[in-house]
Amino acid sequence: MTNKFIILFLLLSSHFAFAQQNLTGHVYESINGKQVSMPGATVQSLDEAVSTITDASGYFSISTSTTSKVITSFTGFINDTSDLKPGTENKIYLKKAVSLSEVQISAHRQDLVLSTIKTANLETISSHELLKAACCNLSEAFETNPSVNVAYKDAVTGVKEIQLLGLGGTHVQMLSENIPDMRGLSGIYGLTFVPGPWIESIQLTKGSGSVVNGYESTTGQINVEFKKAFDKDQPRFYLNLFSDERGGIEANSIIKRKFSPYWSSMLMVHGRFMQNETDRNKDGFMDVPNNKIINLYNRWNYHNTEKLEAQINLKFLADEVEGGQVSTLNVSRLYKTAVSTRRAEISGKLGLLFPEKLFKSVGNIFQVTYHDMNSSFGDKIYNAKETSVYLQSIYQNVLWKTNHQYKTGLTYRLNILEQDYPGLAARTEENIPGAFFEYTYNYIDKLTLIAGVREDLQLNNQWVFTPRLHGKYNFTENTIFRFTAGKSYRRPYIIADHISVLASSRQTDIVENILAERAWNYGVNFTSRFEITGHELTFSADAYRTDFINQLVVDAYSDSTKILFYNLEGKSYSNSIQFTLNAELTEKFNFRVAYKIDDVRSTFNGKVEELPLISRQRALSTLSYSTDNEHWKFDYTFVWEGRKKLQFVYSDVSASAKSYSPTFFLMNFQATKVFKRLEVYAGAENILDYRQKDPIINPENPFGNSFDATNIWGPIEGRRIYAGLRFTIR
Amino acid sequence: MKLLVIFLFISVQGFSQTDTLKVMTSAVCEMCKKTIEHDMSFEKGVKKISLDVENKLLTVIYDPKKTSPEKIRIAITKTGYDADSLKADPKAFKRLPECCRNPEQH
Repeated sequence: MTNKFIILFLLLSSHFAFAQQNLTGHVYESINGKQVSMPGATVQSLDEAVSTITDASGYFSISTSTTSKVITSFTGFINDTSDLKPGTENKIYLKKAVSLSEVQISAHRQDLVLSTIKTANLETISSHELLKAACCNLSEAFETNPSVNVAYKDAVTGVKEIQLLGLGGTHVQMLSENIPDMRGLSGIYGLTFVPGPWIESIQLTKGSGSVVNGYESTTGQINVEFKKAFDKDQPRFYLNLFSDERGGIEANSIIKRKFSPYWSSMLMVHGRFMQNETDRNKDGFMDVPNNKIINLYNRWNYHNTEKLEAQINLKFLADEVEGGQVSTLNVSRLYKTAVSTRRAEISGKLGLLFPEKLFKSVGNIFQVTYHDMNSSFGDKIYNAKETSVYLQSIYQNVLWKTNHQYKTGLTYRLNILEQDYPGLAARTEENIPGAFFEYTYNYIDKLTLIAGVREDLQLNNQWVFTPRLHGKYNFTENTIFRFTAGKSYRRPYIIADHISVLASSRQTDIVENILAERAWNYGVNFTSRFEITGHELTFSADAYRTDFINQLVVDAYSDSTKILFYNLEGKSYSNSIQFTLNAELTEKFNFRVAYKIDDVRSTFNGKVEELPLISRQRALSTLSYSTDNEHWKFDYTFVWEGRKKLQFVYSDVSASAKSYSPTFFLMNFQATKVFKRLEVYAGAENILDYRQKDPIINPENPFGNSFDATNIWGPIEGRRIYAGLRFTIR
Repeated sequence: MKLLVIFLFISVQGFSQTDTLKVMTSAVCEMCKKTIEHDMSFEKGVKKISLDVENKLLTVIYDPKKTSPEKIRIAITKTGYDADSLKADPKAFKRLPECCRNPEQH
């Protein structure tokens, strides 16, 4: 009984000893020896009886009766316990906690990301990377990319072809949001029909792609993601204007509208106009062709992340490219080239999601395209029309556990190609049904294997089997090894794939019935991301080999009057090795350097020879610097190209003396000033004005029999100074 | 002589006085971070700006000769966010992306 009283007494006395007291003070963070007030910090008595939050000046006032000790806490900071003195101004200093989230916040966005997560060797090129160059269209978007070469194919059309692993762009499968696109007739010109400002990001996969996307990717896959109507990051209005010193003007506008929580729409408009005949090397030919283009893209999205995603896309394009001799030339008949394209497309996707089953989904895709192309190179004419229908259904689920996933489905393609050219069938109709199955196995975060097969019924009722295997092994989270092996099939478009051969007086000779191209591709990749004194570095090394079983050989070596087209008889391969280092030197300063060797050989008339006009070695370096808050951005690109074997005829002794092109380097620079709603940029491509001096052989006599505008190894345009602006309304 | 002038200029730059201010905001997501950091970086006198989304705290390094904590807080409200006890400008708040207008979703 007495004990209880004593306890009660003690309790009361202790209570009286800490009579109601007011503790006041400020909470600070010490930054470089200075105290900075911390608003919003929680100050709580040690017994958690009372608490308060500091005001804008970091001031707090707390009344306690039990303790004078307080815990001060704030997300991202280390909790502080201090004993405060009543009646005085107490100072509490909080220290920053070094946490993962802190690292993420300070981590700088990288514009070119070498993935260590994806199983395929994937480079993601963000829209920020695309802003580093004039980048008028998709093919030019790769000019700052280490893996892809961009090269002129002739001196009259101004079209640049991309090359991956030393092989031409038609060996790369192009996808628009995972729908096969820019193929067939638009295989070469298609990339110029994708304006840079429409692109949200590009995924570049080296080596054969997924069987889900088809049988075509030999050397790689390039997927383009366009800006999306439902993306809250996209501004409501975007306007881009661009002009260069030659008088070319370009406008891009994007309007986004949301109609309901689920429905949204986007309209993208692109126009380009260039009408100015320049001939700096005085060969009588325009250096850059005149060009008019109108390009429209309207998309409608239904986006309900829980149940259903649907989209309808409409595209229209009209493009006119006119090159050749300048009008002022005093000749009886001008040599002119013209490529005129009309294209319409409707495509859609319908995806069903199952919120209770995260891994299950059903996707349906359709695409209908109509492509009409009329081209003339002097007296040579190639006209073609292509109508294509593509349907695909994909079902995705897990087998028994979530580390065994699969995708399976059916595809169907109808392709009607009408061509008007000597030696080519007037009409080819293809009906290609196909089925695919792809299985993904994950062993904790260590090993991933993707095995895919597909079977397609090709022309002449021939079943074509396409196996693919991709693997990735993580030594650590940031050090990985990848391998890939896969077979591909592609029916070449004999003239459309090599349309530049028409810019020559040599006659095309399709020697035999051209078979489909078949090839194996194997590759390994090692990627490691590491830190040296706080700088993030990514190192990547690749080795790829492509072995053709059958190939369309375009032979410019054997006959001086002809370009021969025939099926491969013998070896044809490409070996490619590449090293890339990306470094974030400081938050503001990024550096990339890459070196590549492509050894590409094929059998020409029984002789294994290097492919002409492919650079054996190439080095690229980019530097980008931005000031505080990214108000100014500076981007510099340096490209060195090794020698290329020229197209010449073996019997011509004088030509073989200079059978290789000289090596050269190019430099680009761009500065961007960012304002609140506006960005202004200006730059120069090919600063040193390096040019292939005489790109056209025998330009005086284009209708004669030794004219050739296809022996192109270097830049034709020379320096180009440009400026533009981007305006956004959020 | 020129060198000396440049040197003096650099040293003046180097020693130019800056203060740091921390402001409690109503930011909720990465979009908010983008909006505030972008818009505030154009305010007069603001040298550096960084928002910690996790604790909503905005750290502003500024030149006290050109601006003041009061002015900075008002500028924040004009981007559509609360700044300490000041409420967001309703007009600016309306223009924010949807995700930034619904703090409950986060």
